[in-house]
Parts: sequence; structure tokens; C-alpha cells
Amino acid sequence: MTQEIRYGEFQRRCDAEQEQISYNRLTPTVKKESNGKIIPHIHPPIVLRPLDVYRLLKNYTSPRFMDQLRAVVPLAIYLVLFQIFILRELITDSWIITGGLLMVIVGLMFFMEGLRLGLMPFGEVIGNTLPRKSKLPVVLLIAFLLGVGVTFAEPAIGALKAVGSIIQVERAPVLYALLNEWSTALVLVVGGGVGLAAILGTLRFLYAWSLKPLIYYSVIPGVLFSAAAMLHPEVNKVLGLAWDCGGVTTGPVTVPLVLALGIGIASAAGKGDNPMSGFGIVTLASVFPVIGVIALGFVVAWTSTPQEIIAAAKIAAAAVPSTPAWYEESPGIDAILGVRAILPLVIFLFIVLKVVLKEPVRNGGMLAYGILLAIVGMVTFNIGLTYGLAKLGSQSGSLVPAAFMNIKEVALSPLYSYSLGLTLAVLFAWFLGFGATLAEPALNALGATVQNLTNGVFKKSLLMYAVSIGVAFGIAIGLLKLIFDLPIFWMLLPGYVVAIVLTYFSSEEFVNIAWDSAGVTTGPITVPLVLAMGLGFGNVTGVIEGFGILTMASVCPIISVMITGLWVRYKAAQQTDESLSSSLEAAAL
Amino acid sequence: MKQRNITILTDLAMITCIVQRGNGDGIVSAARDAGAQGATIYYARGSGVRERLGMLGVTVEVEKEVVQIIVSTDQLDTVFNTVYLAGNFDTPGMGFMYVVPLSKAATYIPQEVLAKFRQ
Repeated sequence: MTQEIRYGEFQRRCDAEQEQISYNRLTPTVKKESNGKIIPHIHPPIVLRPLDVYRLLKNYTSPRFMDQLRAVVPLAIYLVLFQIFILRELITDSWIITGGLLMVIVGLMFFMEGLRLGLMPFGEVIGNTLPRKSKLPVVLLIAFLLGVGVTFAEPAIGALKAVGSIIQVERAPVLYALLNEWSTALVLVVGGGVGLAAILGTLRFLYAWSLKPLIYYSVIPGVLFSAAAMLHPEVNKVLGLAWDCGGVTTGPVTVPLVLALGIGIASAAGKGDNPMSGFGIVTLASVFPVIGVIALGFVVAWTSTPQEIIAAAKIAAAAVPSTPAWYEESPGIDAILGVRAILPLVIFLFIVLKVVLKEPVRNGGMLAYGILLAIVGMVTFNIGLTYGLAKLGSQSGSLVPAAFMNIKEVALSPLYSYSLGLTLAVLFAWFLGFGATLAEPALNALGATVQNLTNGVFKKSLLMYAVSIGVAFGIAIGLLKLIFDLPIFWMLLPGYVVAIVLTYFSSEEFVNIAWDSAGVTTGPITVPLVLAMGLGFGNVTGVIEGFGILTMASVCPIISVMITGLWVRYKAAQQTDESLSSSLEAAAL
Repeated sequence: MKQRNITILTDLAMITCIVQRGNGDGIVSAARDAGAQGATIYYARGSGVRERLGMLGVTVEVEKEVVQIIVSTDQLDTVFNTVYLAGNFDTPGMGFMYVVPLSKAATYIPQEVLAKFRQ
């Protein structure tokens, strides 16, 4: 007998390759003790097919891999294309560089995941419980020590130390000493600066201080100190390094960890509701190290004469030919530096948690996994940095001058007339800065935050372009500094004077956003690339040191964002004026 | 002035999928390809299978996305199957989905569609 059914019903029955099974048959029957208490059921582990393992791993790794890929690959392609088409030179060691870049991507992927799983939970727990269990001085001391610790863990710090060997000792002995014998002291001083910034930032969270006076009181002494250093014949060569350190410190480890601590403290004190309070620490963390590094420069200059440093360097150079141990050569030393960057920080956080707070460690397995990932990632990243990013950067940097001057590696150089070549080189730097910044994931996040905080007045894309254009001009100006060997102080002074004047006129929110955006955007890819490029460039053009590009890349976005902020406010004010006057006209009619 | 009409829809069902954070958009686009109109996503946290996966538990995100898709009863199984396959729900930890019947619903319905049914 035929039964009439609707077509939809028919289609549904054909489509559904489903079988039904009662869930009652799958759930376990829980055993009870004689007194009726339930014996806890233990769920057996799940047996996975290889397909399941593949799917789980793919789902886990591919988005994280793509995040880093998107940041690295466009930059690498840009450098390679520029080198091939404009400079007409092929990339040497292209396979090593490709492998190195891949290691950078994989290393960053591991490191970021390790940071999220292994280090951030510490920061959050400590930030939440520390203020309740300890007095303010203890809290501040721990904030300070954390600031020092995170600086050691910052990936870009490794890049800074690595460039020390390129400096010629005869031309800048103090700078050479800072980056070689004194390199640990250098990182300590930078870390101390970050630590001080963490203290001030925490106090700012607690007492809701305005950022403006903090900027005046930290930037103006910084500039004055630089002026003093300028007058010293040796210390003035340290200035570029000192101001570059500011940009280097505020990377992917420092910013989230210090913020997590600060926000935890503020919310425990019941003052975490100010949306802008998250900003400011980054700014202070990029100014204080500058003062510290200049001071260290003076210390070096006073304790040892240039002749002594040169003599010591000569002895050290003579001693090198005895084959270095495996831990002094490239892959070995990278690995050791990687472990040395993470482990002390982890041990410090662990001691704070156990001894000071007496808190149990929750989720220990997950934390161990995260820490392991962070270490593996850091080591991989460091090795990739040496063979990929730094190599590519210094290669491009040393070849770009071929556009306008005669260098021996390029047969037909100068490739273009002086003015055209110079324009090309500056344009190259401009677009490199623009692209690298726009691709930085941190900027995207900052843009979204800012758009939320300003209720959409400051559009995300507007901020991203303002920062990117600032960085682009900064890198181009920094390149000009290297070409003409301009003294960095005379570029710093106007930059920071303009920034401070603009700060005076801007509203508190835009001051916060502008001063932070520069520090946030100089991430683990931009910094080593730009540093290596600057040094390669500086080597060829024969300047004393290749620092200073990052300095300019930090000042210019501050200015560009504040100008944009003032413009946005002017526009908004004009609109309300217009609507007001038109409504008045309407009322008059 | 003409009185406003409310047209009530019947024969609906809601598919709810709980997937790892970040996988929701893939689910939604698969459902739309299978004829679903749209979806609502909200965030949640949850675990269960994760603890039983051993080492691979780290690959499963504790943060979840809950995707709710409202479909007609006719398209229910097509969308259900598509989403199941697209989300790899046959792998542990990839998600959980269920269907509940809805008694009635109302939303915007294009005028020309309404006119066709009134004829």
C-alpha cells in the first residue's frame, strides 16, 4: 500500500545517513557503596585514530602558524623583490635564509603559545593575589624584579647583543665595550629601567595618575641627559644604542606580563575600572632604559680609557682563533641564550608564587608544557634569527647603498644617479617601515582596543595608518641619519620637543594611545630586521654605528598619532559647531 | 493606517553546536552553504573530552564557541549532516551538537514572499 509523503520529507529521509542509538546504552552505571554513596566514576582515556591525531594537530597548529606566517612572509618577499629588481642582485645563501625564516615562524609560534600557557597564568595569579597578601613595598619590589626578568626573556634583546661584534672597536670604544664585556650589565640596566617603569605604572594604576606629568618628568630628563652625553666625545656614540633600547624592550613578553600584573593589582585595589589605565606602562618602559644606558655609558667611559678597551679587544680578538667550544658557536650559543632568557623568569615567578604568596600551582602539567614550548620556541627563534631574519636584513642593508654609491660587492654600482638612488633607498626604507608595521599583529589588537575605548571616534584603520606612516617616516629618517652620519641628538631633540608640545595640547586619552602605540608596534620581527639592516647599511656607508633607526621609528608615530588625535578632535568639534549653528538657524527661521 | 501583521513561522528546529574557539566561523559558512539562513555565536568555556585525550589534550581549546543555527524541519538533516562533517565531529574534542524543536518563531519575511503565500 502506498503512502503519500511530502517531497521535503522524502528528500530528508534519502539524505540522512544517520543511525540512531540510545544514549542510555553509552552512559556508565555508577556503582554505589553499601551506604548508598556514589563511587566516583573514572572516565577511561580515549583511543585516537591517526586521522584524529592529524585533525587535532592541524586544528591546533594551522591558525597559530598562519598568524606568524602573515607577519614574516610579506616582509621577506618585499626585501627579496627589492633586491632582485631594483638592486639587480640575487640573494646569496637563499636556502639558509629560507630555512632560517621558517625557524623564525615556527619559533615564534611555539613561543607565543608557550607564553600564553606557561607564563601568562603566573602573571595573572600573582597580579590577583599579591596585593591582597602583601604590603605595597613588597608588591612594588616584585613588580620591579619582574620588569628585570621579562627584559631578559624578550626575544629582541638577543638581537641587540648579537650586533655588538660588528662594531669596530677603534672608532667607538665605549659602544663596543657596552655591547661586549658590559653586555650583561647593559641588559641589567635596561631591565632596571623596565622594572622602574613597572613600579611607576603600578602606582599609576593604584592612584589613577595622569600620564602627562609622568611623560614630562621622564622624557625631559632623558633628553637633557642625552644633551650631556652629546658633549662627551665617547659617550655620544652610545646615544643611538640607548634610544634604540627603548623600542627593543617593549616586546611580546614585557607588555602582556607587566600589564597582567598591573591590571591585577589595580582590580584588587578596586580601581581597575578606568579603561585607559592599561596604557602608560609601555611608554615609561621605553623611556627609563634610555637614561640607564646613557648612565652606563658614562660609567664605562670613566672606569676605563678608550685605549684600554681597544687593547683588551685586541687581546680578545687574538685569543679567538683557538677553536671555540660548541656553546660559543652559532647554534649552540643561540640555544643557551634561549634557555637563559626563559628559565630565570620562570624560576622567579615560581618562587614568588610558592614562597611569597604560598599559592598552590594549579594545572601544573599545562604550565610545564607551556614553559617547555616557550623555551623551545625561544631557541628556535634565536637560531632562525641568526640564519634568516638577521642575515636577510644585513644583506639588504649592505646592498641598498649600491643604488647611489660605489660599493665593491656590486659590480655596476652606483646603479643609478646619486639623487635617484638616494630617493630609491629612502623610498625602500619608507615602504619597509609602512608594511612591517601594518602587518604587526599587536597593532591590529591596539587598533581594536582604541576604537572601543573612544566609542568609534578614533577608527581602527585610522590609528593603524597613523602609526604605520609614523614608523615609515621614522625608518626613512633613520636611514638618512645613517647615510649622512647625522648626530642622533639633533634628530631626537626636535622630535621629542614636538612630541611634548603636542602632549601638552592633546587630551589624556590620545596622549596614552600615542605614546604607547610606538612601543607596542616594534615587535619581534620588525626589531631584529631593522637592526640588522641598519648595521649592514652602516657598515657599507662607513658610519660608526648603525643604531638610531628604531629611535626615529619610536618618535615619529607618537607625533603622527597625536596630530591625528588633534585632527579627529578638531573635526568632531567642527561638526558639533555646524550642527549647533544649523539648529540655531532653524530655530531663527 | 494599516494594521501591522505578525507572521508566525512554524516547523522549525534549532541546531546548537559547541566547538573550539575559532572554529565557529567554519561551521557557520558550512551551514549557510547547506541552506541555513544565518547563525548566532556566543562564547563559553567547557571541557570533558579534553581530560581523556592524554598528551593531545593540549590541542583542544578550553574556550568554546556556541553556534546556534535555526533551520526548517525539512532542511534540518541536510544542515545537520553538513555541519557534522565540516566540523569533523567524529574526532574527539572537536565538538558536540544537538537539535531542539522550536514551536514558533518570527522575523523579517520579504513582502514578495509573503504575497506569494497569500495568493
